[in-house]
Amino acid sequence: MRVMGIIFANDASLGELTTKRTSASMPFGGRYRQVDFALSNLSAAGVRHVGIISRHNYQSLMNHIGDGEEWGLELEEGGLEFLTPYSMSTSHTYRGKLESLYSAMDFLEFGGDDEYVVMIDSAVLSNIDLTKVLDAHVKSGKDVTMVTKAGVADGKRVLDLAVKLDEKGEVSDMVVDYAAPEGYLASADIFVLNKKWLIGKVLEHMARNQFHMDRDLVLGGWQKGEVSVNVYEFPGVVMYNDTVEEYFANNLALTDAKVRADLFGYNHPVYTKVRFRVPTYYGEGCEIENSLVADGCMLEGEVEDSVLFRDVTIAPGAEVDHCVIMNDAVIGEGSELKYVILDKNVTVRPGSKLIGTKKNPIIIKRGEIV
Amino acid sequence: MFFQKKRCIAMLLAGGQGSRLKVLTEKTAKPAVPFGGKYRIIDFPLSNCVNSGIDTVGILTQYQPLELNEYIGNGQPWGLNKTHSCAQVLPPYERHDKKSGWYKGTANAIYQNIDFIERFDPDYVVILSGDHIYKMDYADMVAYHEAHNASCTIAVRNVPLAEASRFGILNTNPDNSIYEFEEKPKKPKSTNASMGIYVFNWSVLKEALIADEDTPGSSNDFGKNIIPNLLAAGHKMMAYPFNGYWKDVGTIDSLWEANMELLGKEPEFNIRGDERTKIFARNSALPSSYIDEKAKIVNAFVAEGCDVYGEVRHSVISVGCTIGEGAQVEDSVVMPGVVIEPGAIVRHAILGENSKVERNAVVGGAYGPGEKKAISVTSKGAVVAANTVLLPGEML
Repeated sequence: MRVMGIIFANDASLGELTTKRTSASMPFGGRYRQVDFALSNLSAAGVRHVGIISRHNYQSLMNHIGDGEEWGLELEEGGLEFLTPYSMSTSHTYRGKLESLYSAMDFLEFGGDDEYVVMIDSAVLSNIDLTKVLDAHVKSGKDVTMVTKAGVADGKRVLDLAVKLDEKGEVSDMVVDYAAPEGYLASADIFVLNKKWLIGKVLEHMARNQFHMDRDLVLGGWQKGEVSVNVYEFPGVVMYNDTVEEYFANNLALTDAKVRADLFGYNHPVYTKVRFRVPTYYGEGCEIENSLVADGCMLEGEVEDSVLFRDVTIAPGAEVDHCVIMNDAVIGEGSELKYVILDKNVTVRPGSKLIGTKKNPIIIKRGEIV
Repeated sequence: MFFQKKRCIAMLLAGGQGSRLKVLTEKTAKPAVPFGGKYRIIDFPLSNCVNSGIDTVGILTQYQPLELNEYIGNGQPWGLNKTHSCAQVLPPYERHDKKSGWYKGTANAIYQNIDFIERFDPDYVVILSGDHIYKMDYADMVAYHEAHNASCTIAVRNVPLAEASRFGILNTNPDNSIYEFEEKPKKPKSTNASMGIYVFNWSVLKEALIADEDTPGSSNDFGKNIIPNLLAAGHKMMAYPFNGYWKDVGTIDSLWEANMELLGKEPEFNIRGDERTKIFARNSALPSSYIDEKAKIVNAFVAEGCDVYGEVRHSVISVGCTIGEGAQVEDSVVMPGVVIEPGAIVRHAILGENSKVERNAVVGGAYGPGEKKAISVTSKGAVVAANTVLLPGEML
C-alpha cells in the first residue's frame, strides 16, 4: 500500500507561546515538539512521503525537522517536503485545510504511486498504529475514515468535529464546532482518504468557494449523502492541545505512568531531533516529586508535579510546583513558581514569586528575565 | 573515488578484550562498555577527535565487535558521516598474501590498514585507544608535535612513583624530548607515564610499521616495538605533558571510581562541556525520566527514560532504568536498561546492561570511610533473584 502523509502545522493557537512558532513546533513533554508525534506515527507506519503544510511562523519548525533524518524521512525519493505559502501557487495564507491542499496540489499529484493519504493535525497527540487505520479504511470501502476518541465529548467542550454512531456502527449524526453531548465521538483529526478521490473533492469544493475540511467536505458531503464516512475508534490516549489550559494540563498529565506508557510506548517510540546533553544532576538538597525531568538539568531546589525540559537549572531553595519549564531556564535561589509556563531560555531572579492558576497559568515569554 | 587530503587523521584501537573488566566485557568490547549514564567509553576519544577538528577516524575492531559496530554505525552521533568525514570500522580481513589474519598487536592492526590511511594522504596520524575517560584537544598536541619538528609525540602524565611500574615510562630531557622508553619498568626513573596517545608523521610511522612487520619474533606492538625502534633509530620524539583528568577504566575498580568522579557540584571530572568540549554519544529515543513523589535522589546522575520510585544516593543511573518503590541504590553504577525491583538494596555495585535485581534482593555491602571496598558486579542481562544476596565483590 503506497501512502502519503500530510501534516497540518498551524491549527491551534496557544497565545503568546505560538506568536513565534507553529503549534507543530510547540515544545511538549520535556523532550519533544508536538509534530514529533505525527511524524513518528507516519514514520512507524512506513509512510515515506510526507508534506507539512504550514501557514506562517514556520522557521522554528523547519529548524526542528531539518531533512527529517530522525524520522527516517531523509530520502532521495519522497521524503519530507515543507509546503509553505511561498513555495506554493498562492502567496496568501489559507482559509481552511481544503484551500491549503489546493495550494499544495503539485505535491499531492507528484506522488504518482501513492494511493492513500493520511492527514494529521500536529496539535492532536497520539501514539497510533496507522497501518491498522489504513487497513480499516480499505476494508470499509468508504470514502473517508476518521479516527475518533470516545469520552472527550461532554457537552461543554467545543469540538471541531464529532460523530454519533448507531448500533450498527454507522454514523447517525455529525456536528462541527459544537459542544457535542456525551456519547459522541470526537475527531482525533486523523483522516485516511483515497488520494485521487481527495484531489477531485478539493477541486470541487474550491470551485464553490468552500475551504473547510470538517465543515464542507466531511459534514457537507455526508449530509448530502455524497460522502461515506467510516469511523475508527482509537482506544489509546489522545491529547488535544487547542488551548493554553489544555496544553498545560496535558503536559502535567504525563506524570501519570499509564499516560506515559501509552503516549511514548503504545505502538512505537516517539522520535525527536536530538540535542545531546549530559544526564541530569540531582544535587545534595534537591527534592523532586512526581515530575518529568529531561536531560542536562542541574537540580538543587524543590520541584513538584512539573515538567522540566533540558538544561534547566533549579537553584537551592527554589520551589517549583505545577509548572512547565522549557529549555535553558535558570530559576534563582529562593524563588517560588506555581502554575507557570516558562518558555525557552527564561531567567527567574532569586527570590521572585510567580503564582498563576490551573486555568490561567502565568506565561513568561522566551528569553525574558523576571 | 575522490578522497580529500587530510592533514591529520586518527586511528582508534578498539579491538582489545578488556579482560580485567571481567563479566562486563564477556559479550561486549571494552570501548562499548557503558559509562556515565548515557555514554560508552569510545565516545570520549571519538568526541575528542571531533572537538579537535579531526574528521576522519579509523576504528580497529576485533573482540566481540557486534555491539561496538552497531553503536558506531555511520558515525552520525559524532558528525562523522559527512561527505568528507568518516568513522570507518576496520575489522581484520583476509588478504592475498600471508599477512592476513587476526590483528597480532596494536602495530599490526595499523599495518593491516595502511591502505585505508593512504587514501587520505595524511601528514600526521594520531593513534588512540578506547580505554580512557578524558577530554583532550588533539589539535594542540599536533601543533606541539609540529612546532618541535618531531617524528613522534607521546602524551604523558605524571603518575605517583609507586604506580609508575604499571605504565610505559618515558625518560625525558629538560626540553621534553624523550631519550628512553621503558615498558612497565621495575625501577622507574621518572613518573612520566605514556597515556597511549601518539602523534606520528605518517611517513615515519608507515616505514616503521613495514619494518616491524618484517621482523621475525616482534610483538607488533607500539609500546614494545615501534616506539623503542624509532628511538633507537635516532628519531626526534617528544613527550607532551597533559595535566587534565585522565582515567584508565580498564578494571572494575577504576570503572566504578571514574563514574563516581562525575558526581558532586564540582566534580573531579566535569562531563558537561561548552561547544568545544562536549562529549557526544548515540542517543536513545526515550522520553524524559519520571521521578515519583516517593523517590529521593541525592548527589546522583540520572539519564533519560528512567522511572524512579525509590532512593538513589551518590550513584550514576543510566538511560532506561527502573528503580522500584522502597529500593535503595547507593554508591553504584547502574547501566542502561536495569530494573531494580521494590525493596531491593544495591550498594557499591556495577549493574550491567539490562540486568535485574528482583524484590528485596541485596547486592553489595556498606563500608565505613577508608575501608577497602569490593565492588559487586552483574553481567549483561543477569538476574539477582528475589530475596537473595550478591555479596560484596561477587560477580554474577
